[in-house]
Amino acid sequence: MASTIQGSSKTIISATLSVLLGIGVVAGVGYTLHGASDYGRAPVVAKVIEQVDTPKGKMNHATLELGVYPDSVSSGAHGPDGGSHPGYVSYGPSNHIVIPAHSLVTITIKGYDGGESLNTPFFGRVIGTVDGSMDVDGKKVTQLGMTEVQHTFTIHSLPTSTRDPLFVNIPLSKQPDDAMEKFDADGTLPAPVVTTFSFYTGSAGEYVWNCEFPCGDGTYAKFGAAMSKLGYMSGKVSVVDHV
Amino acid sequence: MSDLQPTPIGDRARAFSKRKDVRLSFLYSTVITGVFVFLGLWFYPKFMPTVMSEQMQNGKEVIIYFTVISAPIAGLVLGIALYTFLNRHKGDTPPPDGPAIRTNGPVVLIWTIVSGIFCLVAITWGLVEMNVASAESANNEPNAIVVEVTGSQWVWNFKYPDLGVESHQLNLPIDRPVVFRITSVDVNHSFWPVQLGVKVDANRHAITTARTTPNALGPIEIKCAELCGLYHAYMESEGEIMTMANFNNWITSQGGHTA
Repeated sequence: MASTIQGSSKTIISATLSVLLGIGVVAGVGYTLHGASDYGRAPVVAKVIEQVDTPKGKMNHATLELGVYPDSVSSGAHGPDGGSHPGYVSYGPSNHIVIPAHSLVTITIKGYDGGESLNTPFFGRVIGTVDGSMDVDGKKVTQLGMTEVQHTFTIHSLPTSTRDPLFVNIPLSKQPDDAMEKFDADGTLPAPVVTTFSFYTGSAGEYVWNCEFPCGDGTYAKFGAAMSKLGYMSGKVSVVDHV
Repeated sequence: MSDLQPTPIGDRARAFSKRKDVRLSFLYSTVITGVFVFLGLWFYPKFMPTVMSEQMQNGKEVIIYFTVISAPIAGLVLGIALYTFLNRHKGDTPPPDGPAIRTNGPVVLIWTIVSGIFCLVAITWGLVEMNVASAESANNEPNAIVVEVTGSQWVWNFKYPDLGVESHQLNLPIDRPVVFRITSVDVNHSFWPVQLGVKVDANRHAITTARTTPNALGPIEIKCAELCGLYHAYMESEGEIMTMANFNNWITSQGGHTA
């Protein structure tokens, strides 16, 4: 009888330890994956610069700046040596941006890369900005041709009943071919194409952005490499009540 | 000599049904079957999406009916498993093996026929439902609004070629047939406007056609149901089934002309 009770205790202890070990393994894998996701990098936080009158009422006006680079070394987003994939195209200085809720947000993106062709003309259109346009080197633009684009900055979200929809698509005008040939030859970044656009945010929530230009390697219809790894051409948009 | 004659099947069945293990297994099976029937009829439907088309209604009914039909099978398997678990051997000395089980003609016959009927019901039912949303059916909708659906990593876009509009939102009028022409510009996706009960692969270099008629007002979710890369989980769009007047207003606001 005593040996049966002893046997049962061993079984319970073994089962408990197995469950705890399983939890530990899963937690360890999750923590490792989270660390590798590049979401741990310091986000770019928008600065509120003024209050403005808008058709939606008085709002905070916040601004932030990003860049998109032909390699990770230039982006500064993956360390001075470009991290584990120095040749990947990348946004910088972070792939996580934080912007205020119920505000007018103006983002400036400096584009240093060349381009080939979009997969679909839809992403050549400016969508979701205040007046349906963007400012490219001082010119008002509403659309780019499929072969005029270096990358896109496309914010989208999951449709839920508790989150305001947010969809913004900005095609970034590409660098001329000779500028990229010079970069390939001596690593000199060209003068950036400066794109500025504004949009309204709704209530607080988490959104994502990604590039819709096929700028990865040849796998998955040029959506491999940088396009298939977190931290380069995709990221997170946090809309928060207070920045 | 008479000892070698097989026992009549009726006697064997009566003896079988009087066994304690059989009766208890049957009792467990009946209870578990009842639980699954209850879940299928009452519980699961509460978690299903809102029905906003005939296809979604049919899909919902298929899930409910198939759950109820399969409940006795699951109940039987789990009932026997439960009895076996509750009466498992305890102690150090295992009992001797039972007699070897040989082929049982009646059981094999019943099992084969019942399984065959279940398969035929499932296949026939599925074929009929698929035909409702087929390309042939879609071509017989002269009044339909055509929407060209394009999947790209990781955003949907919707073009209304007859109305001159392209959008990231899928808005549709109520009670008006709609024909989806679905494709992809990169990898394979799967177009899934959940509340409309349509789910069709979006393949590169191919156009797949599906149809439906929204029959309720309200928001809809459009998801990708094919694992398509890094942000597959975020490949969702919003849309709305609206009155014809509101739909026309939306089309006009997008720079198109009314339906």
